[in-house]
Amino acid sequence: MSLSFSLKKKFREFSLDVDLTLDEDLTVLFGPSGAGKSLTLKMISGLERPDEGVVEIDGKKIFDSAGRVDVPIRKRGVGYLFQDYALFPHMTVARNISYGLKGIEAAGVKERVGELLDIMRLKGLEGRFPSELSGGQRQRVALARTLAAGPRILLLDEPFSALDYQVREKLRADLLKIHERFPITTILVTHDLEEAFMLGGVIAVINEGKVEQFAGREDVFYRPATRNVARFVGSRNIFSGVVKGVEGGDVVIESRALGEIRAERREMANLNTGQKVDFCIRPEEIPVIRKDKGLTGGRPMNLVEGEIVSTTGRGTTHIMFLKTSGALLKIELPNFVVRDLALATGESVGVLLKKESIWIIP
Amino acid sequence: MNLFPLYLTIKVSFTATLITAALGMVLALVLAKKDFFGKNALDVLIMQPLVIPPTVLGYYLLVAFGRSSFLGRFIEDVFGVQLVFTWKGAVVAAFISSLPLFVKPARAAIEEVSGELEDAARLLGRTELGVLWTITLPLAWRGIAAGAVMAFARATGEFGATLMVAGNIPGLTRTLPIAIYDAVQMGDDFTANMLVLIVTLFSFSVLYVVSLFTRGKF
Repeated sequence: MSLSFSLKKKFREFSLDVDLTLDEDLTVLFGPSGAGKSLTLKMISGLERPDEGVVEIDGKKIFDSAGRVDVPIRKRGVGYLFQDYALFPHMTVARNISYGLKGIEAAGVKERVGELLDIMRLKGLEGRFPSELSGGQRQRVALARTLAAGPRILLLDEPFSALDYQVREKLRADLLKIHERFPITTILVTHDLEEAFMLGGVIAVINEGKVEQFAGREDVFYRPATRNVARFVGSRNIFSGVVKGVEGGDVVIESRALGEIRAERREMANLNTGQKVDFCIRPEEIPVIRKDKGLTGGRPMNLVEGEIVSTTGRGTTHIMFLKTSGALLKIELPNFVVRDLALATGESVGVLLKKESIWIIP
Repeated sequence: MNLFPLYLTIKVSFTATLITAALGMVLALVLAKKDFFGKNALDVLIMQPLVIPPTVLGYYLLVAFGRSSFLGRFIEDVFGVQLVFTWKGAVVAAFISSLPLFVKPARAAIEEVSGELEDAARLLGRTELGVLWTITLPLAWRGIAAGAVMAFARATGEFGATLMVAGNIPGLTRTLPIAIYDAVQMGDDFTANMLVLIVTLFSFSVLYVVSLFTRGKF
């Protein structure tokens, strides 16, 4: 199955204009709150009406403002998981799940509900009411209810945001398994980077109503298309500079903040000398060198020196900020490295901005 | 002691409550779900009996449905029903006065049902009628039932408008509240006390039942 849509909607201060074509994969719609992610799902499902646009499932239009096509919500075949699940509080788990099953006899309903209870690890809970379930169970009932109706596409609106960390981890893994079993074209909305990376084979980064990048997760993560995307995927180290020239495989950039930096040249549009460029490097891709240790034989390429001005433990890693002569660099290091190098606030160290880790934002 | 007023009051109130619930349900749904020109005006009109003096309301009804009015003659010619100075007139008075007491809580209960639940039902393939029947009404029924009980209670206590429209004809239109007034006027303390006792007990039980609904005991 495939889903394609092109939607426009204007509010007073906000305008949304998205255009995507998706296949049988799980696509993550990622972006900050207020970017228009949920609104996009609502317009695909028919809960919200676009000012103009087209929505097609398998090449068949379910909405077209120009051709006056507007299939009613109930006939669109869109499965929708609400952020807080919207379980029917007056119905048991079994009744909730079977709510969208129609046109089959009682025995068939029972079998289908039993099957879904099994897949969703909900056996034994069929007689309970939603108020008697944990958050994770509620989410699974909601997903089972949505899948039971046999949707052609599946829209998941921040499905994990109401859950605590451990449950979330487990349910993300569950969702991937379920997606394998029911390979329906799926869109998952999230503002959580880790979740986007874990679940989305393909990620659409949306900001202020526009898609800024639509690509595989590695691309979005390491090769952001815009400064905003770089920011959203946690690449805080974004700098500007001017291309001084291309030497061999390297692009030489003169940056006010960092001095002369060499970046590996990738397959991209030609860079002209004198052109202004933005480039970024991920905080966890930066090795630290103590000046009193190492550093034998010549000054390495892209060495930047500075003083550590803050150190924050994040559990498995440490976040440090390095103040150089012209910039503040964010560095994320595994705890053992911090321990081995005895890094602490106030220390002067050098860091290597490896040329293959530097990404020039096109 | 003549128990006709008690019987008449129950008959009038029951009939009035049926009409109130049927028409009030439609009004509550429309007010809760639809946006249209004049919605506020309609709301104000329905709520009028809560604040307008019952005698004024009765006067309006008398003028509107009297035998000399167009509406009154129309109803009499077409349906063969005379409203003024009959028990049916008392029903109309009770219906109009009790309508706001039903519509207000019923509308609030319907509005309280989360739109997301109704959307979820639509997304699962249900028609608007199906959504109303399986989601909205089952979740709002407490408020609707409480409204119906309040409307019934209001109908049993209707005095001013009923007196204006239906009059005080013994054995024909003399309802319980009017009979109490009459008994006191006549100095018939025994009848007055007995009827007052009945009404008081009834009023207490009504509020108790309503509280059971709103606390979710049913």
